[in-house]
Amino acid sequence: MMKKTPAAAIAALGLGVVLAAAACSSGGGSSNGGNSSSSTSSVTMTFWTNATPGPGLTFFQNAVKSFDAAHPGVTIKMQAIQNEDYDGKLQTALASNSTPDIFFQRGGGKMLAMVNANQVAPLTLSAADQANVSAAALAGETLNGKIYAIPLDQQPEGIYYSKDLFKQAGITSTPTTIPELEADVAKLKAINVAPIAVGAKDAWPAAHWYYNFALRECSQATMNAAGTTLKFTDPCWTKAGDDLAAFLKINPFQPGFLTTAAQVGAGSSAGLVANHKAGMELMGAWDPGTIASLTPNQKPLPDLGWFPFPAVPGGAGDPSAMMGGIDGYSLSPNAPKEAFQFLEFLVSTPQQKAYATAFITLPVNKAAQSVVTDSVSVSALQALNKAGYTMQFLDTQYGQNVGNALNAAVVNLLAGKGTVAGIVSSATEAAAKG
Amino acid sequence: MSETLRTAAVGRIRRGALQVGDAAHAASPTPRARARKRGRGRQRLEIALLTSPAIIVFVGLVIFPVVLAAYYGFYKWQGYGPPTDWVGLGNYKIIFTDPAFQQALEHNGLIVVLSLVIQGPLAILLALLLNQKIRGRALIRVLIFVPYVISEVIVGTGFSLMLQVTGAVNDALHSIGLGFLATDWLADPNIALWTLMGIITWKYIGFAVILMLAGLQSIPDELSEAARIDGASYWQVQRHITLPLLGPTIRIWAFLSIIGALQLFDLVYIIWGQYISGTAGTSTMATYMALNGRLAGNYGYGSAVAVVMFLVSLVVALCYQRFVLRRDLRGAVTQGVN
Repeated sequence: MMKKTPAAAIAALGLGVVLAAAACSSGGGSSNGGNSSSSTSSVTMTFWTNATPGPGLTFFQNAVKSFDAAHPGVTIKMQAIQNEDYDGKLQTALASNSTPDIFFQRGGGKMLAMVNANQVAPLTLSAADQANVSAAALAGETLNGKIYAIPLDQQPEGIYYSKDLFKQAGITSTPTTIPELEADVAKLKAINVAPIAVGAKDAWPAAHWYYNFALRECSQATMNAAGTTLKFTDPCWTKAGDDLAAFLKINPFQPGFLTTAAQVGAGSSAGLVANHKAGMELMGAWDPGTIASLTPNQKPLPDLGWFPFPAVPGGAGDPSAMMGGIDGYSLSPNAPKEAFQFLEFLVSTPQQKAYATAFITLPVNKAAQSVVTDSVSVSALQALNKAGYTMQFLDTQYGQNVGNALNAAVVNLLAGKGTVAGIVSSATEAAAKG
Repeated sequence: MSETLRTAAVGRIRRGALQVGDAAHAASPTPRARARKRGRGRQRLEIALLTSPAIIVFVGLVIFPVVLAAYYGFYKWQGYGPPTDWVGLGNYKIIFTDPAFQQALEHNGLIVVLSLVIQGPLAILLALLLNQKIRGRALIRVLIFVPYVISEVIVGTGFSLMLQVTGAVNDALHSIGLGFLATDWLADPNIALWTLMGIITWKYIGFAVILMLAGLQSIPDELSEAARIDGASYWQVQRHITLPLLGPTIRIWAFLSIIGALQLFDLVYIIWGQYISGTAGTSTMATYMALNGRLAGNYGYGSAVAVVMFLVSLVVALCYQRFVLRRDLRGAVTQGVN
């Protein structure tokens, strides 16, 4: 075909390319002018957050405004990205070297991948910063002795329950061991409510049951070692699976749990608790907010209570240890020094107080914890402050790849399709894919 | 193929142009030849100019990503920075030994076969029925076609709500005294695939019926009239005249159905979510790719799965064209009647 094509046609094709390119670029051309005209003394930084419109986003808007005002010449351009779209957009930005200067960091395996690709800056904290940020939360953002993100809040996991339903079922005190929890499940069944709601459609809420059993069965050293080797050979991992399998025998979850979502709609696990259709739910500290949005009047559930995951008799893990998530922010390696100042500003006490109020969460700055007043969050906070140590959610800790496989394997076990050995072997198989 | 199309188009345009200019240039053949040559060059120029945006878009958004996926498929790559960890065919070895992928492939195969077996006869029967002069025919045609028009996301969300254990379907069964039929439609691995087939049939039958109806319109009435005069019964006419003449339509529909079934993604993704389709026994190659590639952050591995999917679809499509559709390209109408 090429032999027959005259040069004119090729030239025309080239012209077509130029025309198309010109058409494409004409739209974006004008917007670039703004940056280049700025003088040398001023700094413009980009800032990506996953905060959703509402009090959370308003908090960040106000924080950016007051930081800009206090630092003449500094302009922060904030972009709020929907949480589920966030990872994809960030990944594209990282791949095309247009990383935002300041960006929301999920931590765990994702952060490890960014560190390995030299796409996130190590941070050096001053003594004042160290005092502002709790050491336990900072440990979750540390890799090989270097800090790669500043945490803003902690989301410890525990069991949220309806005090009214517990009273109706004749349960007088919250369970502290798994046998006690099993007895309470039987009592809740007797009053015809689902004892425990779980959103297995999203996989991770179901897998968190396994993770918490593992937290009780495995020592801290074993769990941390698995983070780097991704080998689950210690017998405690199997024991945790056996514990979960034994717990499943009493059918503690609501019917149809496999196709129940965690947080969306009245039929979700949070919705079941919000509407008194289920007694308990194992969830992170964001749950009161989620439940509040699903009650009939969209107000916080008045009889909501909280207790930590019960102890497992004979386990090697600290019974006070807690699992949870941490929301942090990282810097691009090319970020100006003002970007770090903004992170320092965010963990200062007044900002942390505003943050905790806006997000209904537990701030990392202990001096700001006074704003946490509702009884549910206070009990979670007290348990957190007493915890021997905290672990990141294992699916974050071990990276999305292994985490996903673990999640799926646990769901298989719940559905009666998989085995305890399958949980351990699936993690090994997944490690081969990544 | 584009080459033949192009020359055919050029020829046709040139002939048209010549006819117009014929009388004027009849006396001097040499300038005419030169004009033709110049015209040919201009036309090539025009074609190149006009097709280049489409070619750029096609190459940039279809061909280039396919090549890139093939490239990434040879690496273990998390999507951060350029890929560096070359594993050769390592990803492909894992794909073909992964029981989860084998199950997904099996589900795809089942969906391909069941779609053909369930939808095909049903669509032909419905088309025959709707080809009769019955009351409310237009309304029924519209109603059958409506599910096809509704977005997959809406269908998926609607069914996943209705088919919950405590959903509308089980409630309805209880209230009409068929409570014993109520079951966990979505989560029970023995039933879930059949539930999916039910939804797929409901969703796509309208498309098949419309295609068949269009095929029926093109069959000349004279043939069946002649057969009826010769004493053929209604079913004999359908069996020996309508069905063979409908052959090309059926084969094209089957082709579209097979390709659609191999690439099924949206309905499963909406109803069973991102994680549990494997557990429920409804995973497909595409959901496997989304779970193990994008969601797990293994972009290299996911690209390899995409390449496998592409090759499976390509091989099936080429085999189908070579062995089934070829007769249509040679004029199946006369063959069908024989």
